[in-house]
Amino acid sequence: MSAAARTVEHATCLGCGCACDDITVVVQRGRLTEAKRACALGTAWFGDGQVPDVVRIRGRAGTLERALSEATRLLREAKRPLVYLAGDISCEVQRDAVAIADRLKGAIDSLAGTAAPGVLAAQRRGRAGATLGELRQRADLVVFWGVDPDARYPRYSARYAVDPVGLAVPAGRRSRRVIAVDVGDARGPAAADGRVAIPPDAELDALGAMRAQVQGRTVAPDGPFGTAIALVHEMTKARYVALVADAEPGPTPSDPDRAEALIALAQALNDPTRCALSTLRGGGNRSGADAVLTWQTGFPFAVDFGRGYPTYRPHAGAAERLAGGEVDAALVIGAPATLPDSIARGLGGVATIAIGPRASAAGWKPVVAVDTGVAGIHEGGTAFRMDDVPLPLRPAFGGEDVRSAASTVRALRERLEGAA
Amino acid sequence: MTTPSRLRIAGGTVYDPANGVDGAVQDVCIEGDRIVAELPAGVPRLDVRGMVVMPGGVDIHAHVAGSSVNHARRLLPEEHAADPVPAPPLADGAPARSGTGGTVPSTFATGYRYAGLGYTTAMEAAVAPLAARHAHAELDDTPIIDSGFYVLLGNDDYLLRQIAAGETARARDYAGWLLGVTRAYAIKIVNPGGVTVWKGGGRNVSGLDDVVGSSAVTPRKILETLAGAANGLALPHPVHIHCNNLGQPGNSATTLESMRALAGRRAHFTHLQFHSYGGERGKGWKSAARDVIDYVNGHAELSVDVGQVMFGSATTVTADGPVEHLLYASSGRKWVNVDIELETGCGIVPYAYREQAAVAALQWAVGLELFLLAKDPWRVVLSTDHPNGGTFLSYPELIRLLMDRAYRDERLKAVNQKLLAGSALLDGLAREYTLGEIAIVTRAGPARLLGLPQKGHLGPGADADVTVYAPDADRAKMFAAPRYVIKGGTVVVQDGQLRRASAGARLAVRPDYDVAVKKDVKRFFDDYATVAFENYGAEP
Ligand code: SF4
Ligand SMILES: [Zn+2]
Repeated sequence: MSAAARTVEHATCLGCGCACDDITVVVQRGRLTEAKRACALGTAWFGDGQVPDVVRIRGRAGTLERALSEATRLLREAKRPLVYLAGDISCEVQRDAVAIADRLKGAIDSLAGTAAPGVLAAQRRGRAGATLGELRQRADLVVFWGVDPDARYPRYSARYAVDPVGLAVPAGRRSRRVIAVDVGDARGPAAADGRVAIPPDAELDALGAMRAQVQGRTVAPDGPFGTAIALVHEMTKARYVALVADAEPGPTPSDPDRAEALIALAQALNDPTRCALSTLRGGGNRSGADAVLTWQTGFPFAVDFGRGYPTYRPHAGAAERLAGGEVDAALVIGAPATLPDSIARGLGGVATIAIGPRASAAGWKPVVAVDTGVAGIHEGGTAFRMDDVPLPLRPAFGGEDVRSAASTVRALRERLEGAA
Repeated sequence: MTTPSRLRIAGGTVYDPANGVDGAVQDVCIEGDRIVAELPAGVPRLDVRGMVVMPGGVDIHAHVAGSSVNHARRLLPEEHAADPVPAPPLADGAPARSGTGGTVPSTFATGYRYAGLGYTTAMEAAVAPLAARHAHAELDDTPIIDSGFYVLLGNDDYLLRQIAAGETARARDYAGWLLGVTRAYAIKIVNPGGVTVWKGGGRNVSGLDDVVGSSAVTPRKILETLAGAANGLALPHPVHIHCNNLGQPGNSATTLESMRALAGRRAHFTHLQFHSYGGERGKGWKSAARDVIDYVNGHAELSVDVGQVMFGSATTVTADGPVEHLLYASSGRKWVNVDIELETGCGIVPYAYREQAAVAALQWAVGLELFLLAKDPWRVVLSTDHPNGGTFLSYPELIRLLMDRAYRDERLKAVNQKLLAGSALLDGLAREYTLGEIAIVTRAGPARLLGLPQKGHLGPGADADVTVYAPDADRAKMFAAPRYVIKGGTVVVQDGQLRRASAGARLAVRPDYDVAVKKDVKRFFDDYATVAFENYGAEP
């Protein structure tokens, strides 16, 4: 390992879906000592750059060669294999992983499954959206619908929708009005200029009433949704509304109807004015998995190649398959630490191969575990921001330092594609 | 048969208009990935006696890769479920990929289907620079065809600022930088200024002299600046223009004005059908195809592709956000809008053109009129603006409509006639395209207009991209299923079956420009962009 100090500028953080690409990473004596401009979440994501470098086969140390042979055998023998795209891998790795699922006639799913209600709603209706930078340039009214981005998307406000100066908002924060919609305990930001409170059980009706009002079907201002209707007046007077909602699951399970109602409201607002719905997504390049699966198969998640071509099983994704005993071998590519509980639990019951950052530490005891570097810290490639903007990754560690997920997954793909 | 490095395609009837060959029986010789003049006797031969031999097809305008296309894919799970594409059984058990079709197929299916149609080159027509990296990744996953893309300019705030400041030279250098850094092939303009107005809270521009922000910026200025930039940078393909007012009755006036604005300069006007309507907003539509194509006929510096509407399913996908909002409002279908920071927009509405719908029938007729009234096939390219007017899989049917008057007249009788009064098609257009003319509008012409000297012909030195068809009186059948397709010297379609899937090459330009512009662009990025200047583009 090289001892010289190294500085990498314009590194992209995958700590959350903001994918801030302004990070300066400093490496000294083989350790990542600083990630300038990263928030606390990002600093934790970069860590000290140390990852285990272990290859384990049935609990014992082994060579990569043997691990790949064992993985190939297990996957070839499986009748109902599952490939799962976890976090912290590049799009290049995701592309190879989909090829493996295709070759195996297996199922494939990704972290996008955790945001399924929003994806499905957008498939029914479409969406009115924008890249984050367009909110920065245009939005003069920002409505946080039941979410304070500071907790899970710490620099969202500072970099995108609230604080920065934009072409049409020359004074930054002072050119914008920020409204917090508090849906029960799901509260908007404390520093909002105005607040609207909606009881959780009235949320759908409120969204429906707001949309009706936008469409000119006047709703009584003194009725149960008075404050929501008052918000509609503000929205229609604004030049460009950013409606911000969390697409990742929170303490309460996300409601597909709610996701659809938010889309419908945002779409309707484009008659009287302009509006974009910004749906917040988590990190680890999960948006990349969604994009890659879509371009390679036509479906964004929960794909099954069992018939020799992709079919879409949005209600029988990885969690349901594992719970239903429909998987006999699983290949998890990416960081096990990013897996939702439902998946991690289900993996305990099947033979698994884990390739990714800290794979050897996976709690469900993979049959084959190959540790690799982290995309964006140890290896390059492409990752997608939550708004589908592709960004290059600038690893602070050289390729010689840590085994790469890209080369490992490619080697496995080549074995599986070779003659049996 | 394996793919030999030398191959004589023997005894076919060759249509190679770029070399003046119009249906002569002769051999085509291939060595490696090139066409050569002769080969010694005894090299492997492909006996194609009685068959028709043409260069591989070249699609000058289609939407096949990148962020807008992928948004469209994500929106269409039902289409994909209805059109599965199993992995083709390739020779020697080489790995192949499955996928799905519909109007916006997955990437692998896109490559296989183009090749299966005898097309070996396709240009993605609209990529936002911000998403260039994404478009390249998708094209990398689109097998067989050589491909490239046009990068969207004309609603980008940096450019508009240069126009406002009268900085024409800097605008040109910026375009040169952008083409290089995104690895693009040409400049695409979509609804100049109109997308900016839509993003700014307005609705659209309505004509060439509407003001866009600064009084110095108008659609006319944008067109002039970028046409000048394309010529100044000596790009192989001129500026590729989607005019203002797409799909509006009476828009032929805007189209003609745009053409006049660029008089004397090279320019390509795309999906002309969508811009050739007479009538008036709110008062009805009619065809203005004759006026528009007459102008094109008289101006050798202009070229067009038609953007034919074909009956059946389509998906409208364009950077023209305001147009898609109108279509959403009128159709009530699902709708995607994505405003793209500092650059452009994106709108998507799935759609269907029905023979019994008056406007769809008019659009269909207008496209055919443009084809049939065009005097110079070298400047009129066959396209459906895939998947906007129909998918590329409908090209064979379109070829039949052009080649077979009896069939065309029969189809004409079946469509809604309400808006067809005054259409030349209704008056009776006797013209039937010949095979030689089809070879021009589907390969030789677009290759020449793209400035690809190695494409679209079968002369020595050309890329060994060759398509062999079994003749059939039903031209749709003939063109839908070529017997052989050779791409870069590899026989990819053999006896009508896809048997090999080589990787395609990327077509990109790297123009010279004054690099001083980079400093100024970086300053603009530092002030406004959310992506670091250093992370922008798609350089490896
Ligand atoms: S906001 Fe998200 S992407 Fe940005 S530095 Fe923090 S964790 Fe990383
Ligand atoms: Zn187009």
